[in-house]
Amino acid sequence: MKVSILLLLFLAAQMVTAQQPPTSVASPAGSNPGAAKLTTQLPAQDLTKLPMGKGLPVTVRVGIDFQRVTAFDDNEGTFTGTVDMRLRWEDPRLRYPAETIPRGFQEYRGPEAEQKMKEVWTPPVDFTNLKGPPSYQATSLRIFPGGRVEVMQRTTGQFAIPIDASAFPFDKQTLGVDVTVRRETTGEVSLVVLQEDIDFSRPAQDLVIDGWTPGLVSIKRYTEPGWYGEFHSGLDVGLTVARNAGRVIGIVFIPLLAALFIPMLAIWMNSTEEGEFQIDTFELANIVVGGLFAVIALNFTINSIYRSVSTGDNTVTRLFALNYVALGLGLAVVVLLYRYNVPTRLFGRYVQEQVYGYLSWAVPLLAFGTALTFIFVAAS
Amino acid sequence: MKFRRSAPLILIGAIALVVVAASIISGLLFTNMISSVEEKQLSLMHSVVAFGLKGAEDRAMARAAMIADLPRTRSLFAAQDRGGLLAEYSKMFTEQKDKYGVDQAQFHSLPATSFLRLHDPENFGDDLAKFRPMVVAVNRDQIARKGFAVARSGPAIFGVVPMYDPKDKHIGSFEVGIAFDDVLDDLKNTYNIEMALYIDEASLHEFAKGIDPAVFSDQNRVGKFIRSHSTSAAVFNLLVSDKDLGATENTQYTREALGVTYGIVLTPLRDGAGQVIGMVAATSDFSASRSSERRSFVWQALIALFAIVLLAGVILIVIRGTLLRPLEFITSRFATLSTGDESDEIPESDTLCDELKGLAEQYEKLRAAKNKEAE
Repeated sequence: MKVSILLLLFLAAQMVTAQQPPTSVASPAGSNPGAAKLTTQLPAQDLTKLPMGKGLPVTVRVGIDFQRVTAFDDNEGTFTGTVDMRLRWEDPRLRYPAETIPRGFQEYRGPEAEQKMKEVWTPPVDFTNLKGPPSYQATSLRIFPGGRVEVMQRTTGQFAIPIDASAFPFDKQTLGVDVTVRRETTGEVSLVVLQEDIDFSRPAQDLVIDGWTPGLVSIKRYTEPGWYGEFHSGLDVGLTVARNAGRVIGIVFIPLLAALFIPMLAIWMNSTEEGEFQIDTFELANIVVGGLFAVIALNFTINSIYRSVSTGDNTVTRLFALNYVALGLGLAVVVLLYRYNVPTRLFGRYVQEQVYGYLSWAVPLLAFGTALTFIFVAAS
Repeated sequence: MKFRRSAPLILIGAIALVVVAASIISGLLFTNMISSVEEKQLSLMHSVVAFGLKGAEDRAMARAAMIADLPRTRSLFAAQDRGGLLAEYSKMFTEQKDKYGVDQAQFHSLPATSFLRLHDPENFGDDLAKFRPMVVAVNRDQIARKGFAVARSGPAIFGVVPMYDPKDKHIGSFEVGIAFDDVLDDLKNTYNIEMALYIDEASLHEFAKGIDPAVFSDQNRVGKFIRSHSTSAAVFNLLVSDKDLGATENTQYTREALGVTYGIVLTPLRDGAGQVIGMVAATSDFSASRSSERRSFVWQALIALFAIVLLAGVILIVIRGTLLRPLEFITSRFATLSTGDESDEIPESDTLCDELKGLAEQYEKLRAAKNKEAE
């Protein structure tokens, strides 16, 4: 009986034990608690999310190589060219054993690269000054064993740039590409340029731009305002080009300086005898009026060729202004001095004689002095 | 002396002298102002470099102090458990290196022997006394120190703290080194100032056995220095020569390269013994201030020209038009009268100045008397 009761109790205990859920095994004292976690199945990582393994912001290194500039239109403020953009960052989630790839890195090109870029996080950077869609774009992606990722993108397109013609024709323009992070804020992604990227960011050795001399590549960081007081990291990588001034001087400055002689002729063509002017006022006024039309025509001609200097404060607009002022002065001399003899009426014929003598050298001296000043200021 | 020529000449000369002198003084004042602005800019660059380096020193020191004070560190180091220390801190060091630019971390036994390099665990047991005076000083004085040094892995910014066992007995020291590269790159990215680090080549060869040999290339050699890092090699090639690096104090100068004027500051790096082991160079584009200086000079020259020409006009017209020419005319009339020829009246005598009107009236009286006499 006792034996059967014991057997029943044993069976009951076995059944209770069998119904209990399995309990986790406690870690031994002093062991790494993380070790127990390793035995469990981790959820699959979403590699398209921002890689935060190295903290925030994710530092993305940018280099821009100017491959070719096929056209630069300073009137439109655009240049057409091919640039290679290199982006480098680290994503520890993409690390893999180096020995698995004999080449030293995984490489994806063309459609493969585009597909892979949909599977992993890549910085959402855009050329913000690209006008319209690019005429050509190719991408490659490299992933190195240590988790370093490199995207290389070749883009051919038309880029809009601001033109500063204030120092025309001694001006330097920057053929810049603006690279901006579109989605992530500065706290999440930061674009930086280090020495290696500067070494990469250079014009191609055989780069030729008609009428311009390529210089160095300059890089400036900026932030673009986003929503809710946030900012997006950006870089302005620009190739500095200097205008070849010699060609422009012949086309623009010789006519502009020559036009300055017209009002001078109106002054010089007259003469005095005992304070009396010898030449008919009408003829001299005709010179000034003819000069006015000549300068207006020159203005239209130059503005149609060099539209970038048609507005704003620059050497050309200053020289045109000087021409108009000189014509106005010439007309004032003709009317007030030659026609109405104002100095004679006010102070006598001897004063008028001296005023004329003075104007005949002072006006040209000041006019050409001012013109040269405008040119020197632009050149300095 | 002919008054007609000499008087205007003297007056115009005096005016020209005054105007030119005023323009030169004004130009000098503007140049001084520009120099002052540039001085401030250079001073600011010095401050930026000093701030960046001091910040790195403080960060290195803070990290070293925190780790050295942990009970686990103290007990493991007291037990001379190299493997235990490596197991405990290897991952932490990797994280610090990856994220925060920590380049080196090392435990030193007394007096100055490498016990464990977290960045290079295979190399230990070497005596650091010769090239790490800071470590010697920390272990001698038991006072934490921070500064620059060329270590086995290369130059870095160190914070060194004394280490004690759990019973507070001094047993050695611990250091954290922050790489110059990250500090200089951060400064460039923050302040847009180009930065470069020059280190004495002999020190690098002697002490930095673990440094990348590529750094000793000819492109990086400047006299006895090696440019171990720079944010723009092309610019520094043109701006910093071996003569410039001979300075032992903070130095600043301006220099033109590729048509652009740059301001350069050099900050010497001294090790724990006060020896200059290298130089940090920082440079910024000064072309805007130089260009405005040149433009100002040209504009001032034009203003001076206008002033001289306009004032010369006033002198010529007033002296010749109201005095000399009428006087010349009246004199010729008197001459005609004196020779007995038929004389005419002076035309428009009402426009003459009062002094000459008197003379003209006398002429008219004489002429009238002569005419009456002739009748």
